[in-house]
Amino acid sequence: MRIKIELFGASREFSKNNLIEFNVSNNSKIKDIRAEMNKYLDENFSGNENYKKILKSSSFCSEDNNIVSDNYKITENEKIGIIPPIGGG
Amino acid sequence: MLHTDIIDIKQKKLSIKDAEKFIASANYGASIIFTGTVRNQNNNKNVIGITYDSHDALVLKSFNEIYNETEKKLNIKNKAVFIEHAKGYLNLKEISIIIAVACKHRDEAYILSRYIIEEIKKRSPIWKKEHYIDNKSDWLKGNPLVHEKI
Repeated sequence: MRIKIELFGASREFSKNNLIEFNVSNNSKIKDIRAEMNKYLDENFSGNENYKKILKSSSFCSEDNNIVSDNYKITENEKIGIIPPIGGG
Repeated sequence: MLHTDIIDIKQKKLSIKDAEKFIASANYGASIIFTGTVRNQNNNKNVIGITYDSHDALVLKSFNEIYNETEKKLNIKNKAVFIEHAKGYLNLKEISIIIAVACKHRDEAYILSRYIIEEIKKRSPIWKKEHYIDNKSDWLKGNPLVHEKI
C-alpha cells in the first residue's frame, strides 16, 4: 500500500517536496515506516547521521491528529506526519 | 473563554490590540499580555531572523488542551485566554507569540500566563529555523514531544 509522510521542522530537509511517499506492505506499523525512512536516508543522503538522529528522536502523528506509538497500524493512503523535537514560542 | 490561532505571517502580523480587545472585560481585575519576539543572539550566533514552522492542527489541539486543564490543575475557573503563534519568516523584534490572559486577581493571572507558555514549549509542535548574519541557517534542536501515544 501507498503511504505519505508529511515533513515538519528539521525533517523538511529530507525532501524538497515536504512529503515523502513509500510503498509498504499491508498492516505496516510506524516502526516499519521508521525502517523505510532510515533506508531512504541511506540512499539519498549517504546515511547523514544528523538526519538519522532527527528521525530517531521524532514522534509520528496520524491523519486524525493523534500522536501515535511505533505499534500504530497505518491504513492505506494515510498521511502520517513526522514530528521532530519541538521548540516554539 | 478562549481564542487560538496560527497566523501565516504572509497574510497578517500578530496584533497586541486584537489580544487586548479579546480579554477586555469588567469581570477581570488583572490582565497580562506576554509576547515572544525574535532576538538577535542565540548560542553566540548573530541571528537576523527566524522561520517558524508548525503542525497547525496539533498545535491548536494542544492550545485547547492546555486551556482546558488549567481549571483542574490550577483551579482557575473564570478567565479569558488569547493565544496566537506566528508561522513563516519573522525579522528581529517581530512578535512570534502572544499569550494574553485576564483573571479576577493578579496571582491567578501570573500563574496562568506562565503555565501556558511553559506547556506550549513542552507540547506544541512548533519549530524554529534560525537565520544568521553569514547567510547560514539552522533548525534548532528542540525537545522530543512529551505526549501520550495511542
